Amino acid sequence: MDPDALAKAFVEHYYSTFDTNRAGLANLYQESSMLTFEGQKIQGSQNIVNKLTSLPFQQCKHTITTVDCQPSGPAGGMLVLVSGNLQLSGEQHALKFSQMFHLMPTPQGSFYVYNHIFRLNYA
Amino acid sequence: MDPDAVAKAFVEHYYSTFDTNRSTLSNLYQDSSMLTFEGQKIQGSTNIVAKLTSLPFQQCKHSITTVDCQPSGPSGGMLVFVSGNLQLAGEQHALKFSQMFHLMPTTQSSFYVLNDIFRLNYA
Repeated sequence: MDPDALAKAFVEHYYSTFDTNRAGLANLYQESSMLTFEGQKIQGSQNIVNKLTSLPFQQCKHTITTVDCQPSGPAGGMLVLVSGNLQLSGEQHALKFSQMFHLMPTPQGSFYVYNHIFRLNYA
Repeated sequence: MDPDAVAKAFVEHYYSTFDTNRSTLSNLYQDSSMLTFEGQKIQGSTNIVAKLTSLPFQQCKHSITTVDCQPSGPSGGMLVFVSGNLQLAGEQHALKFSQMFHLMPTTQSSFYVLNDIFRLNYA
């Protein structure tokens, strides 16, 4: 599959899961996965999903503005840089964010998130 | 050396080189290096430096707001995610940007940039 198409498909799957069923993100991480969320470092699927499901809002919607990807080296990984808007329910203005994923292939021909870094972009 | 310190040192070196002597960035890239600059894909040190030195401004200054890093896997690489401001000479307002670097170790115990993705963050 074309890498750009793959990156786009992953991003759409990730954010629709995030916006509708945050706990379902557990399938996208493994024990070795790392998340840095606004400077806080978290490791492992369970801890990562705990962090994401405990964020202080009930509902949110991600809208993606840009998706860039590149192959990351001999291990067959893929780097994805996303920018977009995050609308929290009840808030008047959307937050802007940038997010970086490093996807690694699984033996079943899929991908999991090995590295993940999230930052809000303040005005 | 502590990974966070390595990332910070790299970022400071990269942007001070960019801001004072853009053509010497060629030392930080190799033939396999990839840059995606505002969606445009460029490969190889020569092409990358040609792109960066041909950007439509004479002088610029990067100010870094955040630097996050994580090890990228078995090959010993490091992912660095930067956000900051870019002030162009003569422009009233600074531009905001996000940039992702994937650094790989060299045989001389240094790092080079294998992957580089740059995006402006529009308000």
